[in-house]
Amino acid sequence: MEEIILKIEDLKVAFDTEEGDVEALDGVELEVKKGTFHGLIGETGCGKSVTGKTVLRLLDNNARIKGGRIHYGNIDLLKLTEKQMEKQIRGNEIAMIFQDPGSSLNPLFTIKYQIEEAVSMYSNLPRNKWNQAILEALQRVKLPDAANLMHRYPHQLSGGMKQRVMIAMMLACQPQLLIADEPTTALDVSIQAQFIKVLRDLKENLNLTVLYITHDLAVISELCDYVSVMYAGRIAENLTTRDLFKNPQHPYTDKLVHSVLGVTTTLEALEEIPGSVPRLINPPAGCRFHPRCQEAIAICSKEAPPLQELAPNHTVACHRR
Amino acid sequence: MTDILLETQGLKKYFNSPAGEVKAVDGVDLIIRQGQSFGLVGESGCGKSTLIRTILRLLEPTEGKVFFKGRDINSYRKNELLKLRKEMAMVFQDPHLSLNPRMTVFDTISRPLKIHGLARKKQELLVQIVELLHTMGMQAEHMVRFPHELSGGQKQRIGVARALAVEPDIIFLDEPTSALDVSVQTKILKLLEKARQERNLTFFFISHDINMIRVVADVMGVMYLGKIVEIGPKELLLSDPLHPYTQGLFQAVPEPDPDKIIQEVQLEGEVPSPINPPPGCNFNPRCPFVWDLCKEVEPMLKELEDERRVACHKY
Repeated sequence: MEEIILKIEDLKVAFDTEEGDVEALDGVELEVKKGTFHGLIGETGCGKSVTGKTVLRLLDNNARIKGGRIHYGNIDLLKLTEKQMEKQIRGNEIAMIFQDPGSSLNPLFTIKYQIEEAVSMYSNLPRNKWNQAILEALQRVKLPDAANLMHRYPHQLSGGMKQRVMIAMMLACQPQLLIADEPTTALDVSIQAQFIKVLRDLKENLNLTVLYITHDLAVISELCDYVSVMYAGRIAENLTTRDLFKNPQHPYTDKLVHSVLGVTTTLEALEEIPGSVPRLINPPAGCRFHPRCQEAIAICSKEAPPLQELAPNHTVACHRR
Repeated sequence: MTDILLETQGLKKYFNSPAGEVKAVDGVDLIIRQGQSFGLVGESGCGKSTLIRTILRLLEPTEGKVFFKGRDINSYRKNELLKLRKEMAMVFQDPHLSLNPRMTVFDTISRPLKIHGLARKKQELLVQIVELLHTMGMQAEHMVRFPHELSGGQKQRIGVARALAVEPDIIFLDEPTSALDVSVQTKILKLLEKARQERNLTFFFISHDINMIRVVADVMGVMYLGKIVEIGPKELLLSDPLHPYTQGLFQAVPEPDPDKIIQEVQLEGEVPSPINPPPGCNFNPRCPFVWDLCKEVEPMLKELEDERRVACHKY
């Protein structure tokens, strides 16, 4: 039995807005196994970033966690105080990197200064080991000439290098779990490929666990072992990456996979999902996908389908399965 | 062989910057035929957006010529340019930025129709706009909406409808789907292809998304640091890329296939600055096949068989 490092149960988050409550997350359930890369995919506004931020309790002020549990080992993260989160969890147990590496680094300070700041806050290393740790972390992510590079400022680095600095900063604090929110979306393909290679190396050599949030299924295919598919604030399906492409069961997953360029290489065969993603102020009753689903039956518009197990490592929320 | 619609000869566009001259477009020779769907791929900063802006004469070229239907577009005087604008249309990358937030869909699409005298009376405008909306899979009721009342995909369809309104010969599409979700992207691409066939249009796509270009284009070009390094029919380019940069770029594209054997990345390093591009072939510092000649002599775009052209000393 593999150890489960992160388990999210029935997580509900709402945002207060002028137009009313937006139910961004409505009963999210997922498990991340230690030492694996777990993809979290879905289209814009489905709640994947909110899920990642909720784990670290980094939500904006207008967000309310309405229910659920987030187990990290034996700890329920939602029960910790803000001070405990800051001291015990953020950085040293769970770290996060964001989409735009440019805005995650402070332009006024050198790379070394910023990594040092993180190390001083989150790591137990004695001060005389910091330099060594920073250098090793920068070399680990294959940054060329790390000894000189750490004295540079962010504007002297390219986007791909900055994102690798973020990874190095994270590594220097030695967390167990990394949450990566669209880390390669701002990067070019060749730079993205180099970045993926670095992550793969960390997985093999450091046994790092990553919750990888993205809308790019091709990256999932290259990196992840397991995947959770989100739609309109709920999990549609949890499955292995292989099953995602070879045996998707939820009608949304199936359509999504076949609307990806690269899975389908001709325009004729490309799948279209009719309609558009619902707004979460007044989401459809029952299964939130039912207005766009070709397999919908009467019950789909009345009751939300629970996640049910189809096979080991494969759960799906659909009345028709 | 079909007619040549658009041709560039040695087209260059340099910008001045405090650090020196930026060679954004540095000698591009291209031929686009009537009815073709041409797709140009390249990474950010390679000059693809500058190239189409220079072709459209939104920027004045530093050197070189652009022929549209056989006539040099630099010979158009200011007052003739309006005619050129009717024949060449453009769809922009970000539909959230390319529509005026204070104009309704009706206002947005009626503008080009009025400017080019294609419809004058309200009745004529209505008929044409409704037809354009239908072409784009939208309804007459969308006419009174403002951009903020539309989804991203709907906004981009309005962007396309606006381009189609003037009945152009060629449409330039600058990353038309990169701001959209995959499920919406499919719809736009299908509507575009349908419109192209019905209206006998020519498309000029630019994108960094090779998977998108491979679906929509018949002819594909690859750009690196202001130059076209390879160009040819899509199938041949994809199955047998010749230029080392094309090979590396295609290999770097993640493939959504869990059974694929993961290849090690070939493209090391990063794109050099276009201010001081390396001498000789500007890809030489990253090229795995580099030899002495590459560091001294710039390779020309050589014609091979099957309408393929490549700029590399290997061939």
